[in-house]
Parts: sequence; structure tokens; C-alpha cells
Amino acid sequence: MYLETRRTFLKGAAFTVAGAAMAKGVFTTDAIAESISESKFTDTPDSLSFYPPMEEWADYKELSGEDWKRGGISRHGVRSEDNPDGILVHDYVVVPTACSNCEASCGLTAFIDKKTFTVKKYMGNPLHPASRGRNCAKGYATQSQMYDPDRLAFPIKRAPGSKRGEGKWIRTTWDEAMTTIGKKMGDTLRKGDELSKKSVMFHVGRPNENGFTGKVWHTLGSDCFNSHTNICSSGGRTPTIQWSNDDRTSPDWANAKLLFLNSSHAADAGHYFQQSASFIADARQKGAKLVVMDPRMSNSAGMADLWIAAWPGTEPAVYLYLVNRILNEDKVDKKFVKKWLNWEVFMDNKKYMEYIHGKNYIDNMPKDNSFESFLEVLQDLYKPYTLEYTVKETHVPAYKLEQLYDMFIWAGDAISSYFWRATAAGNRGGWMSGRTGYLPIALRGAIGTEGGTFFHHWHVISVAGKGGSSTVGQGKRGSNIPKVDVWNELSWPPEWPLSTYEMSFLLPHLLTDTDWQEKWIKRGLNVPQKLAVWIPRMYNPVWINPDGFRWLEVLKDESKMELTFNLSPTWSETNWHVDYVLPVGLAGERHDQHSEATMPARWTSFRQPVMRVALEKAGWKPKNPNRATLEAHIKAGLGEVWEENEFWFDMCVNYIDPKGDIFLDDAKTKTIHSMWESKRHPGKPVTIEEWYDAAFGDNLPNLKSTATSDARYKNAEFPVYEYMRDHGAWMEENNIYSAQEREIKETADHFISHGHKYDKKHVHIDKRTGVMTAESHGKKKSMGIEIDGKKYEGFATLDKKLDFFSEWFADDWKWPEYAIPFYPRTDEEKKEMVHIVSHVNHSYMTEENSYALNTVFRLPYNIHTRSANSKHLMEISQNHDPIWISTGDAKRQGFERGDAIRVKIVDSVSGLDSGYFVAMAVPTEGVLPGTLACSHHGGRWKLKNSVTIPNGVSDGKVSGAPMERNMMDPEFMKQAPNNVGKDGGQITIADYDGTSGMNSYGVPVAEMVTDGKVGTLKYTQGIQPFHADRFKDYNKDSDNIWWDGLSGSWQNAVAPVHPDPISGMHCWHQKVILEAAQPGDKIGDIYVDYENNFNTYKAWRDELTRPLNADDKLRRPQHIKRPWVPLSDKAYAVEIKDV
Amino acid sequence: MQNTQARSNIYALLSRILMQELDLELYNTIRNDKNILEFFPNFDKWDLLTEMDDNTILTEHLNPDFVNLTLLHLIPYETFYTREDQKIETGGANPVTDIYSEYDFVVDFEAARVVSADHIGVEYEFMHHLCELELEAMKANDQAAVNDIRFTQKTFLNKHLVAWAPQFLINMKYESRTPLYYDAAEMALEFILTDNEYVSKGSVEL
Repeated sequence: MYLETRRTFLKGAAFTVAGAAMAKGVFTTDAIAESISESKFTDTPDSLSFYPPMEEWADYKELSGEDWKRGGISRHGVRSEDNPDGILVHDYVVVPTACSNCEASCGLTAFIDKKTFTVKKYMGNPLHPASRGRNCAKGYATQSQMYDPDRLAFPIKRAPGSKRGEGKWIRTTWDEAMTTIGKKMGDTLRKGDELSKKSVMFHVGRPNENGFTGKVWHTLGSDCFNSHTNICSSGGRTPTIQWSNDDRTSPDWANAKLLFLNSSHAADAGHYFQQSASFIADARQKGAKLVVMDPRMSNSAGMADLWIAAWPGTEPAVYLYLVNRILNEDKVDKKFVKKWLNWEVFMDNKKYMEYIHGKNYIDNMPKDNSFESFLEVLQDLYKPYTLEYTVKETHVPAYKLEQLYDMFIWAGDAISSYFWRATAAGNRGGWMSGRTGYLPIALRGAIGTEGGTFFHHWHVISVAGKGGSSTVGQGKRGSNIPKVDVWNELSWPPEWPLSTYEMSFLLPHLLTDTDWQEKWIKRGLNVPQKLAVWIPRMYNPVWINPDGFRWLEVLKDESKMELTFNLSPTWSETNWHVDYVLPVGLAGERHDQHSEATMPARWTSFRQPVMRVALEKAGWKPKNPNRATLEAHIKAGLGEVWEENEFWFDMCVNYIDPKGDIFLDDAKTKTIHSMWESKRHPGKPVTIEEWYDAAFGDNLPNLKSTATSDARYKNAEFPVYEYMRDHGAWMEENNIYSAQEREIKETADHFISHGHKYDKKHVHIDKRTGVMTAESHGKKKSMGIEIDGKKYEGFATLDKKLDFFSEWFADDWKWPEYAIPFYPRTDEEKKEMVHIVSHVNHSYMTEENSYALNTVFRLPYNIHTRSANSKHLMEISQNHDPIWISTGDAKRQGFERGDAIRVKIVDSVSGLDSGYFVAMAVPTEGVLPGTLACSHHGGRWKLKNSVTIPNGVSDGKVSGAPMERNMMDPEFMKQAPNNVGKDGGQITIADYDGTSGMNSYGVPVAEMVTDGKVGTLKYTQGIQPFHADRFKDYNKDSDNIWWDGLSGSWQNAVAPVHPDPISGMHCWHQKVILEAAQPGDKIGDIYVDYENNFNTYKAWRDELTRPLNADDKLRRPQHIKRPWVPLSDKAYAVEIKDV
Repeated sequence: MQNTQARSNIYALLSRILMQELDLELYNTIRNDKNILEFFPNFDKWDLLTEMDDNTILTEHLNPDFVNLTLLHLIPYETFYTREDQKIETGGANPVTDIYSEYDFVVDFEAARVVSADHIGVEYEFMHHLCELELEAMKANDQAAVNDIRFTQKTFLNKHLVAWAPQFLINMKYESRTPLYYDAAEMALEFILTDNEYVSKGSVEL
């Protein structure tokens, strides 16, 4: 056919440009190497195994992939003295660590080139049981972050005489910073009064460790540990607390038949992304069905078997529709439900039954309190959630709901789900999605099963703070540290007694709201009105939190925050406004014990400073064992970069309480100093090896037994530490299913439950419920449950079962109407039950062109604020943050792809306008009509393109690289920096001329104007190509930047705070009104009325919460988690004056 | 000799188009050469050429299309089409390296920005070099060398390019979103089929 229609190609001879000039010219001529027979290498590997066996990690040789491109070894042979033109062979030491770019803690291995003492690549760790040698793009980006030319090379402080945010900095030493900060902390804490224990605040973004820093604050005797959790996941945790008194869901993705993803999650870019996505892929390979419920067609929704685009916040209606059909079609797993739901407590609470009858939740009172009557009550209760009702409320077509039900039933008891992200974190009352969502899963018996859904605490290892036996003062697992006896209203305000975590995003509001402070002071609470020290860590609240201008106001106010410093490896919007920035390490530059519930097992990773470990394993010794990581990083050329573990050990012993005169107890026997003083080397801080050998060894018996019986470690000084150092990961226990059915051990006199011994004489067994209650020190504690003659450990709830009915929530904590899974059935109920109706429900979309904006989803390849230091991640994630608008809505408003549009935020509680941001419209069929999507992770900014730090060059300082970096050179291996961190020990930073960029790959320059009420931000210069001197081998293509970074908007600054009245979650979604852009508008512009935002904060607080009052005697229920530091009864007790 | 020059030029042009995204220089060469444009009839009539500036056409239309066609959606490597497991052979066992080696040719992967020597653009460029060698032999009146080189061309076309490139080019033609790559796919396909016939019979007039 082609021959018949062919053209003449003779015209090719008449091209104006000769072929040779047009061809790329990719061939070179070369001769074949003579001798390759001796090499172990081949041109093509025999197998595609990514990783060498662990035995080769100390000395692993690999052909350079870069050099191999010259033609492979069959042409050149392997490089050697005899064959200098051969292909380069890398001589590596491989050191395991763990990624720190999201919360999942996937394993990493650093391939450290011995000849240059640099990391040539980060790969996965094949020994990590959950990540299984795999990583996502963020993991591999660790290398580019390590060698980011703009990374902070030494501690800096605000220039004397300058104001916060002016951008004037000087270089300082670790010692000076620690002396100044330590004195301020010590002077504050030494007072020992209530306010001083509320005034030195730590504020963590991504913790990525399991309890270390919490333990530091515990040993400071302070209730001052703040976290980012309530802008993240408290709406996901509240339902789990109510159902099982646990923290969060833990699904068994890999063995599920139905993978029911709620919001952008797991397989997308959400929680535990890579590990979850891999397990989900495994399950799908085995035939599992994937359902994604999300108003936006996420990547996972796009490949799901079923996409359910429910209107944001109406997901409970979907779950209750399933419940209604399961009950009516007799699909209940009665055996499981009877055994493990707290139906007896519910049926026995007559007062509550009458209450819900009175509110018309049920038409009929139950005839008795039997299990059969319980099922009848459920049928009565959930019968209004019909197909017709659900379609109307959720906007999901009927056929999809029916398909969902069929899949749900088909999957039996192998249904895995997770209640987190947009549904939980975006909507007021979003916690009710999890509260209702667990119910159909429980009714099908899919809790704790293989392929089912379970709970976090059984699948996690938290021992980072439990190395106390290595110290003089803490005792084994910290048993000698006194409980903290104050309650901090700045993090746990009395309006939100049930908040899952701290109300951290309200910190600037609470610090400036003197009316609020005085109101509660009059009622008898000792509310702090300022902070002596504020310490963010891996946290950028100015940018990521709502109402960013309010944060800026407070950060700049030295009367509210007297001293501030950030422990941060990079620049950020927040760092620009603090007093000190102290560079601590990234994933391969710090110690952390880090475990997450990503599979039905208990595993932990061990994050490590890989350069230090490589040196030490090769025999290197630091001059100062308490600053070994700092010394190693100087040797590696990273600068005066330290880590937090050693920093806090040193701070507590030598700077906060150097004399040991800050006491933690009235008897004056316990000091901050003693808490972190080494038992092995009295007077010195504990070391990393001592601490982690105890933390792992005292708490993980299987690990200890393995390490101490392994010939490689059993004679080592710190066998457990060394085992973890070499492997980087450990699985303590696998296949953990239905752990509530673990039977209580019994001796003649004792019951043993959860490792605790209870004298039988003090244990009472309730005849009706089977709950086993132990009495101790005048308190009652549920410790197990007897069912059909067997004694089980049960769940962590008061009644040891899954709490369909949360009795304490109803009877003691003021929220009876929401103490069972519920969702308003009528418009009238919606108005009345406003606490569980999303603030972006369609009933609030009354104005023309108003929409529900879904803001809660991660951008692929990005990690909140922590990606801008990686060229790799920035390059692959550009232009990913437009406004997704349905094609019909866009057409109606006349918006086309790429148009700039104004997105005006309006609050449905206060009715106030917050201002607007200008974004790019992208019409798509991938979003539910009436809703929009725009991730709140766009719009990073900086006020200057570069920063010059005087005294940043040598000035007689010590050479950072006194000799060539080469691990094979004995002189290099012998050398350790002198006086590290001290005045005489400052080093010259290689290839640094005193001026540095700030996140040059990912953050454009903006101009900001604020007047205390209104703030604006406008970008003035996009990201541009630049020349990098520092780490130039790793940044050769910094001149190849094709993106300008101007596609996103700092919408978080426009967003007012929306504190959920129950969970305390900041409800991220926004009611917005779309308008065409005005002349002069550019994508990225924002205009914020943050005085209005302050009033919106007050409206949510005053109109929606049910604060503590004179009848309350406790700040919060004592049986539910109060994170980070254990509090005494004195701290929990409260007296509110009735004024 | 004119035939060989034409073949050399066409192989060069196609190899460049198929190997990497266009730069402004090549783009202008194509647009300003009426002889080249005759091979790209749809591109020549493309409305966008008069509506947008060259840079926008390149960065927002042509180059994204190239990326879609050669990186994201299609796989322009011989071994992907010829191996049963559809894996790209990136090592020394790649079947084209032997024939390259006969002429002491080595692919510079840095310059080519490909992962393997059997990329379609590289194979077209190899044919271009063989045509250039043929021209040199012709200029030297070395008929034996001409015959040898022709034999190599015939072997390479039959064992490699014609054995797989048509499948890729047909896919490329239907996946393309810009007339330039549509035309390029069609031209490249017709040309190798015609050229194969030419070198096989040794008498077809171009």
C-alpha cells in the first residue's frame, strides 16, 4: 500500500541545510577494550536485583552508571591503574537510614563513595519490612536536599538592633545560641511557678519520631508541647477515639478485597503513600476492588473500580445508607457485633434511649435490652437513610451507591479503609465521617480481620523516648520522671476540652486575644499572656497554617514571643521571622526511632546520620562524643549541621540546667540535669549509643534477643543499637489481627493484661457487660472483658468493646446528640445540628457563583512545605495547583483553561469576607459540579532573593576540609574537628562567598504589605536559573530552570481559622465565590482582611463550642489520650468560677 | 550520488526529529525550506503557525507532543518491540551494538539523551552515517566499498529498522497531537519502506 502511494524522496537532495548539519551526531568512534575477562562486571547485569546483599554493604563496588555511558566495559574495561581509561567503579559503603520527607518513614540506604566521602545516591532499604526497598520520588530526592546549594551551613541569629523579619542576620556558634537560649529557658523554668511551666513552647510540624522530644518536654516539667496535628488529622482521630479509644485507623491493605479510600489518600499522595500504594497494588493484583470517595477525581480515583464524588461533608450519609441496607437485608455479622460492639451499655442507658426517642431518632422504644432488640433499634434508627435521601444529600447517582453496596457485601470481612484527610480535615463535623464509616465495617465484622480495618496502637512501636535506663535520673522507660502538674490553656483552651490534639493553629489568636485571656483569668484559670521561648521544629506555620498574617503579627511582637528559634535545615517563611535558625539535619543526617502503622505488624525504622555512621563503622572517633554528628557533618562538608537528639541531650545537661538546680519535684530530688545525664559517664550528657541501646533494648524483647544472640553483635558494647545501626529497620511482631481477642493471662492471684499485673482481689467483673475493673489508689480502671467465659484484653475503651455508643461523650461531656453515629435527616435537623454539618454543605451555597472549595489534597511529589529545597521535586511538580472547576460551571461563568480568576473566601458562620486569592482556572470533568478543588500547598514566597550573612566567610576560621575527603586515607579517618560548635571551632564553608539563595529552586520573590488589618502579597519575580558554587557537582543544571513557580497562590493566608467545636480540627474547606479577575490581577495575588478573619475565629469559638463551666471538675476526660506529656490529677482538675 | 545525498539528508532530518524535541534552529530550518515542507503538508498548513509566536508553538505544542510520543505514551526502542518480555535492552547485549561496532561507532548517550542504542532516532542516524560513508566511497570511486556499505544498509534495514519501526511509527501517527509529528511519522514510515526497496533492488529511482 505504501509503495503504491509513495512520494518521491529525491527532493531530499535539495535541502538547504545538509543532513550532517541537521543530525544530532550521537555516534562517536571508539576502539574496543582489550582486557575485560578479569572483571566481575558485565555490560548487562545477570539479574535485576537493585540491592547488594547486606554482607557487602561495608564494601560494595559498582560500575558508575554515568561513566558506563561511554560505551560499557566491553569497550573500555574496568578502570584500574593499568587501565586508566576504563569505566569508573564506585567504592561504596552502604548505610541504612529512613526517609523523612513524609510521615511514612520508608527505608533508605545511602551509597557513600569512599573516595570522595559524598552520598552518590539514596536508594530504598530492602530490609525495611513495610517499604520493601521501594521509595517514591520524595525518597530519592533526599540526595538533592542534602546537597542543596542554599542549605543553612551554620547557626544564624537576628542581627543585633534589627527587627524580626527585617532579614538582617549574623553568623553565630552553636555554643552562643545554646547559652543564650538555655539561659532563657533555664531562668524561666527555675521559677517553678505555674506560668513558667506554660511559657517555653515547642511546636512541632512533622514529628517523624516516636516520643523523643515529648520526653524532653516531660523532663522539663512543662505542659508546653504543641504540634501541628489539628491542621492535619484531628478530625480523623476523633472518631477512632470514640469507637476504640485509639488514635487512628490501621488497615490491612495488602489482603483486602475492598479498598475503600476516603478522600485523596493512600494510593494517591496521602498518608503513608508509598507503602500503602504498594500494598494496595498487591491487593488489586489479587483481585481486590478499589473505591475512591472524593469530590475530585484524584489519581487513584482515576484508576479505581468505582469513583464516588460525594459533596464534601456528606460522606456520613453514604455510610449510613450502607448501614441501612446491611441491617434491612440481614447482612450483619451478628456473632462479631454481639461480641464486640457495646450494645449492652447502649441498651442499658434508659435515659439516653429516652433522649434519642424524644429527638425522634427512633420511632419506638425497645421492648427489652436484649441483643435482638439492639438490632431492631438500629433498624429503626437508620431507616431514614434511603437511596433517595442519600442521592439528594450527597449528589452521588443512585447506581453508584448501589454498586458500592454490592462491592461492600461481596468483600465480606476483608474491607480496608482509612478515615483521614479531606473528609475529616476539610469539613466542620468531618469527624462524623469516620464515626459513621466504622459502623458498616463493624457490622460486617471487618474489624481486625485479615484484609480488614484495625487500629493504630497495635501496629506501631513508640520507644524513642524510652531510653531512660541510660540516664541518671529518668529510670527505666522514664518511670522516675514526675508527671507534669499544670495545664496550658494556650494549647488546650477550655472551649475545646475534647480536642484531639492541641489547638495549635489558634496560638496567635489566643496570644493576642486579651479579652479571651482576661475572661478565663477571671474565671480562675492561669492563662499565659506571652511565651518566654517559642521553638518551631520542621514546621512553617506562617505559611502552612490558616490566617498567616496573624502569625506574622505575633511572631514580630517581642512582647508576645520573647525569644524564638527554629530547628530547621532550610529557609522558610517562618524562619525569616525568628531570632535564631539552627541547622539540624535531613533524613540522612539525624537520629530518630520512627514507626508507623502501615501494615498489620509492628516495625520500626532507625533514621541515622549516614556520614557519621560510615565514619564510625570505619573506626573514626569524634573528639566530643556528645557532638559526634556535628563533627561528622563538618567532615562531610555539609557545614555546622547538627541533629536534635544530641542538641537536646547537651542543652538539658549543659545549658538549661548546668548546675542541676532546676527541680521537677517538691522534694527536690529530681533535676532536669539528671534526666539527661549519662549513667555510664556521670556529669556528661547521655550519648546516642547509650540512649538508643536502652530505648530499643528495654522495650523490644524480640529485637534484644536477636541482637544479643547474633555473633556479630553479642559482644558489642551496645549490641541492640549496633544491630539497628547496621540494619536500619526491624519487625518486632508480624500478622497482628484481632488483637482485642488476646486472652488475659492468669496466675493463682493475678490477672495479667497488656503486661500489667492486677491482684485478683481488686478486680471486679460486671455480670452484664463482662467488663473487668481493677481498683488501685482509689481509682477504677478497665483492664479486660469476660465474654462467654473467656477473659480478653479487649479494646482500649472504658467498656473494652467498640463503642457504638459513646456514653462519656453523651453523659459527661455535653454532646449527647452526637454520641452515636448520626447525620441530620432533614433541613431542620441540619440547621439545628450545625456542629456536624459541613460549613461548605450545599445548603450554604446561597449566593450566585458560590462553591465548596476542596483544599485538602497533597500535590504529587510535594510534602507540605518541605519540597522547595529539591530541584528534582520542584521540576516534576510545576503547574499542578490550579482551580479545578467542572466544565459546566466554567462555561456558565465564562472561564476558560488558564484564565486567572478571583476566589473570594466567605465564611458561612460569621458571614464575613476574608478576601481573595487569584488562581488559574482549569475546567475539567474530574470534579463534582458545584465544588472546586485547589490544594492548599501552593504559593510559597520569600521577600528577598538572597541573603548575605556577614562574617560568613573565613575570617581566620578553621578550615572545613583540612585534607581531601577520602575514607581510604588514614589521615582523613584520624582527623576530627576541634572545639566543635565553639567560638574557636567555626569552620570555613567551602564554595560560599557570604551570600546564599533561599530555596532558589522552588520559591519565588514577593512583595508584602500589611497594616495590622489588611494584608496583600504579590509576586515580583519568578524562579530563575542561577549558578551554584556550593555542591556544584550536584547542582550542575541549576542554570536549567524552565519554571517560574508562579502558578500557585498563598491561599492559607486568606483562609480564616475554622476550629471544629468537637475535634478541634481546623476545617480546611472554604465556601468561595468566584469572579473574573480584575485588571491588574495576576495569578498568585492575595488580598486578606485579617481583622475579619479574627472575628470569624471568634464566631466559630463563641457560636459553636460548649466550653467548660462551673459544673466541670476535669479539663478533659482522663481516659482518652492527652498527647506528649503525662499530666497529674492536679493538672486535670479544674474549678471554673461562675462569673 | 544525488540519490545517496537525498537519502543521507532525509535520514539525518528524520533522526533529529525523532530523537529529541526541536530547537528553534531546526524549527526555522523546517519552516523556511520549501523542499522540507513538501514532506510536511499538514504542518505547512497549520493554523497555529500564523496565530502564535514560534516560542509558544515550540514550548506549548510541539515539544509536549514530542514528550508524549517518545517518553510518556510510546516507547521508541527496538527491543521493546522485538523482545517477548517487552523490556528495553540497555546493555551491551543490545542487538544493534554489534553492527555499530563493525564501524567502530559508539552511541554517546549524553548527547542522544536516550537509554539504549536502539532508539529510533539513533537507528535513523546510523543510516545517515552509512549514506555519508557511501558518498565518500562514491567520491573515491571505490565501488567495492559502495557495495559493502549498501549491503550493510540493506542488512540493517531488514534486520532492524524495517522490522520494528513501522509499528512504532503507525502508533506515533495516530497518537500525535500536532501535524508536525503526524507528518513526520508518515514520512519516516514511507521513507524506510521505499528505501528498503531501493537498497534491496538497487535500481529504484528516488
